[in-house]
Amino acid sequence: MRKMISMARILTALLLLFCFSCQRSVTRISPETQTDLSGRWNDSDSRIVAEKMISELLGSPKFKAYAEEQGKKPAIVVGLVRNKTSEHIDANNYIKKLEVAIYNSDIAELVESEEFRDKLRLERTQQQDFADPATVSQWGKEIGANLMLFGEMTSETDTNNNKRTVNYITTLFLTDIETNKRIWYGQQEIKKFVKN
Amino acid sequence: MHMKPFMFRWATFTCILFVLNACASYYQTHVDFNSEFEQGDLSRALETLSRFDKEAESKTRFIYFSTSGLLLSVLGKYEESNEYFEKAFLFGEDYRINYVNEAASYLTNPNVTLYRGEDHEHLMVLYFKAINFLKMGKPEDALVECRRLNIRLNQLGDKYISAEKLQRSAFIHTLMGIIYQSVKDYNNAFIAYRNALEVYENDYARMFGLTAPMQLKKDLLESAWRTGFQDEFENFRNKFEMPDYVVGETTADLLFFWHNGLAPVKGEWGINFFIAPGPDNHMIFTNPELGLSFPFKVDDEKERSDLSRLEIFRVAFPKYIERPMYFQSGSLENGSATYTLELAEDVNKVAFYSLNQRMLQEFAKGLLRAALKKTTEQALRKKDDRLGALLGLVNAITEKADTRNWQTLPHSIYYSRLPLTEGKNDVKLSLLSQSGRDSTTYNFTYQVKPGQTLFHTFSSLETIAAPYRYY
Repeated sequence: MRKMISMARILTALLLLFCFSCQRSVTRISPETQTDLSGRWNDSDSRIVAEKMISELLGSPKFKAYAEEQGKKPAIVVGLVRNKTSEHIDANNYIKKLEVAIYNSDIAELVESEEFRDKLRLERTQQQDFADPATVSQWGKEIGANLMLFGEMTSETDTNNNKRTVNYITTLFLTDIETNKRIWYGQQEIKKFVKN
Repeated sequence: MHMKPFMFRWATFTCILFVLNACASYYQTHVDFNSEFEQGDLSRALETLSRFDKEAESKTRFIYFSTSGLLLSVLGKYEESNEYFEKAFLFGEDYRINYVNEAASYLTNPNVTLYRGEDHEHLMVLYFKAINFLKMGKPEDALVECRRLNIRLNQLGDKYISAEKLQRSAFIHTLMGIIYQSVKDYNNAFIAYRNALEVYENDYARMFGLTAPMQLKKDLLESAWRTGFQDEFENFRNKFEMPDYVVGETTADLLFFWHNGLAPVKGEWGINFFIAPGPDNHMIFTNPELGLSFPFKVDDEKERSDLSRLEIFRVAFPKYIERPMYFQSGSLENGSATYTLELAEDVNKVAFYSLNQRMLQEFAKGLLRAALKKTTEQALRKKDDRLGALLGLVNAITEKADTRNWQTLPHSIYYSRLPLTEGKNDVKLSLLSQSGRDSTTYNFTYQVKPGQTLFHTFSSLETIAAPYRYY
């Protein structure tokens, strides 16, 4: 507010300058680029969690031992990932990356989760009535999963004036559906310090 | 340079003609539409609004889109309504400051700038849009609006540093919870409800004296229970002192939103400021009645001298004018059960609070505008007294506050959740006037399928007074 009258003479020129310097720009950047704008959970965090979980699962001796014990590739179904943080975080952002890694590494089979199973069963039901009998998908041939993937996200926040720290803890685990025994654990902590 | 007498008289006459229109507030320039809307003559209001279609390209296009969207929504034309709301949303997304217009506003008035919309108005666009989708049975589209709301809330939180600024919206968090719950995403519903509770208990209690609705507490408990958060369920049950609360099974739900009254409109008020020289090359702008004092450093001696000669001048500022609600309370009856419609958002208080919080900023902008106008006038007077006088007249005419706002929003939003049974359900809405003497009832019938969540909004456009002639 100060020096306002003196500003009068340069106001128009300055604002015209702003006018030319503030055009919208859009640039495509690599998805791998780490961008932190607000300090909240973002794509970089999902990627960090996915990479950590993938490396821990693929290198897990206990998981390998379980697969050997089974004598075949275990089938995994994705269950519930609970979010106890204060942010609306879509766990699918890293779960899908984990699924792709499992699929490509060929260490396990993936079977559809509840949401998609229902849609498949509906399609199969309709095939019984409307599809060529030679091509109808048969009932009772679904693969039963051996393991279910669960997870939980929590966060601890500490704030003081314009400073904030948030520690996100993401835990995933695979549980044997038959015995309830936990076969694998993966955990990733991401701590952020945000200053406004 | 000297002006011919004829030209001077012509210019003065033109200015006087201009002033008759220029003095009108935004409300007054749309008085036909406003009176029709307030009287509930919505079809005619829509016809009147259609005559303003050029405003879709104007500096008030956000208000035009929002007003059209809301009116069409009240008329049950949800698809068309959402087309306008989408335009209003995209306007907010694409809005960029036009610095040429900003500069011009300091030499005329803020109405030459593009109206960007108040924070709460941008949130309300998405509220109405989401509810429209839900009424059309499109929950996936409503979820998109829900995610947009989340982004908007995050942006709002980042926009202000001061804790006294309104950074969070408890109502919008509640709405998000309701949308998530309607698609059985109980985990996200729980997060939204928990955030809403936190904002009600802190920001809303402190700023508006508004506490968390009982319905929110019940929904929070239900979403915790259905997500499997046993500890949280127990903790909140103890916190709410609801030890006997259990989550029941319902066939279907009705979410009933009551839009009571109309939001405030913006008017104008003026303050006279005195200018006096201060120490260290400062000029002090003061208003002793309001205890306002703004020191400005002016290094140029000639400019200080010019300003000293002004002594006193008037600056126009915006203010909100409340349209008090006609109805004080409402309830719903479904069979033998009665459900109170609880206040979830006081749009009126939100509007007043937001403007009050930035009043110092408004003062500074208004003073800068007035000082720039006056110094330009003084400089011109020295070259040509008549031209200077004419500019003084133009300056006085163009001195005007920004009185634009979205004026068809409700004054307050109330809501309740009712359990429904399969098949036909009769629900009675009872509204009680402020005086307590007038009770109005409306009957609604819903055809319900198991597992459905129905959404209904009801708008009471009545206000205690609709003094549209005086704004």
